[in-house]
Amino acid sequence: MKPEAMYSPEGMLPESLKAPPIIVGTVSPGALDDQVLSHIDRKPPLAWFVAFACAATVMLIGFALIGYTIATGIGAWGNNIPTAWGFDIINFVFWVGIGHAGTLISAILLLFRARWRNAISRFAEAMTIFAVMCAGIFPLIHIGRPWLGFWLLPYPNQRGIWPNFRSPLMWDVFAVSTYFGVSLLFWYLGLMPDFASLRDRTKSKFRKFFYALLSLGWLGRASHWRHYERAYLIIAGLATGLVLSVHSVVSFDFAVSLVPGWHMTIFPPYFVAGAIFAGFAMVVIVLVVVRATMKLENLITMYHLEVMNKIILTCSCLMGYSYLLEAFTAWYSMNDFIHHAFMQYVAGTYWWAGWTTITCNILIPQLLWLRWFRRSYAGMILVALSVTVGMWFERFVIIVSSLHQDYLPSSWHIYKPTMVDFGILFGSFGLFFTLVLLFARVLPVIATTEMKMVLPGSQPRHGGGAHE
Amino acid sequence: MSKQPYSVLGLFDSPQQLLDAIPAVKTHARGRLEAYTPYPVHGMDEALGLRKSPVGGMVFVMGLIGALAALGFELWTAGIDYPTLTAGKPYFSWEAFIPILFESMVLFACFTSGLGMLLLLNRLPSFRDPMLRSKSMPRITRDKFALAVESQGRPLDVDALSALLRKAGAQEIEVVEQPEAPGPVSPHFLMRSALTIAVGCIAAGYLTYWGVKLFPVVAPISHMLDQPRLDPQRESNYFQDGFGMRLPVAGTVARGHMPFAVASQEEAARLANPLPRTEETLKRGKQAFSTYCSVCHGILGNGQTSLTAAYGAKPANLVSRQMQDYEDGKIYYVIAKGKNAMPPYAADLSEEERWSVVHYVRVLQRALNAKDTDISKETSK
Repeated sequence: MKPEAMYSPEGMLPESLKAPPIIVGTVSPGALDDQVLSHIDRKPPLAWFVAFACAATVMLIGFALIGYTIATGIGAWGNNIPTAWGFDIINFVFWVGIGHAGTLISAILLLFRARWRNAISRFAEAMTIFAVMCAGIFPLIHIGRPWLGFWLLPYPNQRGIWPNFRSPLMWDVFAVSTYFGVSLLFWYLGLMPDFASLRDRTKSKFRKFFYALLSLGWLGRASHWRHYERAYLIIAGLATGLVLSVHSVVSFDFAVSLVPGWHMTIFPPYFVAGAIFAGFAMVVIVLVVVRATMKLENLITMYHLEVMNKIILTCSCLMGYSYLLEAFTAWYSMNDFIHHAFMQYVAGTYWWAGWTTITCNILIPQLLWLRWFRRSYAGMILVALSVTVGMWFERFVIIVSSLHQDYLPSSWHIYKPTMVDFGILFGSFGLFFTLVLLFARVLPVIATTEMKMVLPGSQPRHGGGAHE
Repeated sequence: MSKQPYSVLGLFDSPQQLLDAIPAVKTHARGRLEAYTPYPVHGMDEALGLRKSPVGGMVFVMGLIGALAALGFELWTAGIDYPTLTAGKPYFSWEAFIPILFESMVLFACFTSGLGMLLLLNRLPSFRDPMLRSKSMPRITRDKFALAVESQGRPLDVDALSALLRKAGAQEIEVVEQPEAPGPVSPHFLMRSALTIAVGCIAAGYLTYWGVKLFPVVAPISHMLDQPRLDPQRESNYFQDGFGMRLPVAGTVARGHMPFAVASQEEAARLANPLPRTEETLKRGKQAFSTYCSVCHGILGNGQTSLTAAYGAKPANLVSRQMQDYEDGKIYYVIAKGKNAMPPYAADLSEEERWSVVHYVRVLQRALNAKDTDISKETSK
């Protein structure tokens, strides 16, 4: 065997283990633009309008209920002592978690040179931005007087006081706002060359002006690409650390406190795994719909969806491990309070929520071991929906079940969410899907510039394809 | 008028053709070589002789500044400017400051990378670039690869360059014109701009003024003010006597006003002054003495005040021999219980203040009966 062949991992693999092509058929760069960007100049189909109307209606109901909450006070919700954190914080953690898939796909997989990410990174990044926007609403209304939200920022004031930087809630403010800012920047930088393509292909004067403005006059100069690629890669590297830190910080909100069931060292990795888990499920749900309705089957192939499902399966196993470790910690601590808190998860007031979590997050995703199952639309949608439900209930169990029975049995209290709570939760889904639909309408859903880089023959200095 | 072309552009179909063409054009063409591609083509930097991007260094420096700024700020606010104890941790508990340090580092580094690349290195946004009007631009952002020789102010030999590019494999040639220089700004436009800015500033100031003024008193922002509560000195129908303020429960003792079980002044002689004789105690004693005692006993404690002449009263001379021989407890007893015409001061002076006054009286006694030995030799000369 020649030495080159020995060191090439692709050369050593049998045919059945080689990665399938990430694009079905042959696509030229021009045809790619026509396929991905042309919808911007077309009128969207009726189904789009129907979906948009539904999503926007739900969103407006949610906003109306937020207005009602602000006008009347937090008493409109089911929160009360000792369950001071209810739907507001559950939804916050839920949405921030979903927001993690985007950066994982766009940044971490970029560093690992996973070429299949290029087709889905744009969508995942967009979902990150929208999910973090949904998440950001909840802490703001949770503070009760949102107009004083700026008190969280360290600005010099007449009162001569500063925020407490030792508090995990302050870490949260910094982590989530940094995450939002960096994700937006990363998304925008990726979009800029595509804006230039849109500027140059659209016929409408208004759209031309709009896209020209957003492209900042991008020309594709070699001397610009050199800085651009370097900057993009560096942000990807930094975002990798950031994405791990953000959900760790969110988990510190719980782990740093002394509430039994929260005070555990497993929380940061457990939360990060859960975030990726929920995020990938949401990406799969949206991708399946987009792929079918926008006719992108040749670019977002079954291989992409299968890889996504494998990652979901991996995360499911990690979640199972974390749940087991929670049980182990409760048993091994020999602490009555932790023991009690854990027993509440599986056999307490909210036992049904605990078992919904375990069923949806651990048991149902195991079906993905079956190849035919993870390659069927029905199968992957079922799992993705179950994971979304399961991950929401996981946060419900962590927050409500741990809080509703505190150290003083006299203050134990059953938490009952109100209709306003549910309305705001559904409203946040309405906001998310409204933004997703708008995004699919006016921006390229696939990063065409990045896709052109992985077309055959696109990188002559790498022996034909990109990064091989 | 003969216009200088901005650049001569050759279009290629594939990145391979473009890379192959660069060496020949580079050796023969005068002017700056630039490539335009729909996506970054690897190997282009080396072919064009572009240096490595300095983004990495910029990011490192700014990331470090971000981290240190955050740590410094946290230490300064939590330890120096507004020291607060949280969960029994020390003021400079740097471990708790790591998360924000990290986030700040990432924030500084990422925005340096993104905005530094765009604004500083690539000089964007630029909407006046001659290339934006090039007919080839829509094809470059789509799927064509262009090699350009740019004039940079020097004249270009268009025909020779076209031939050179064609020979190197370019399928099409375009000469990009230098755009017209923008004319001078008209005074009319300047006037209108200045007026618009002035009106805008006045409107913004007016809106801000009323916004800030009205913000705290609009519902629901004012809800915090509308609480059912009883203010001091207000009447209340809840109680029979109609008073909002209530008397404390019988037998309540105010802080610092512990009653003492001493029957007579003689008995009080055994009480010892619990306070140390510090500058702080003496200052407090002086303050209380000046407020309550000096009116009758005089600022020096010798019983000489205008009151003596006006009312014929005879307040005690506190610096007299007799008083010097009093035990601390006896003086304390008189302050608390009063003597002859003097009313008790137990309600006005706390225990600590009473004992401080005792210390201060001793100071006055010593000062007004000073011995020669109290004065240093230097002073007595």
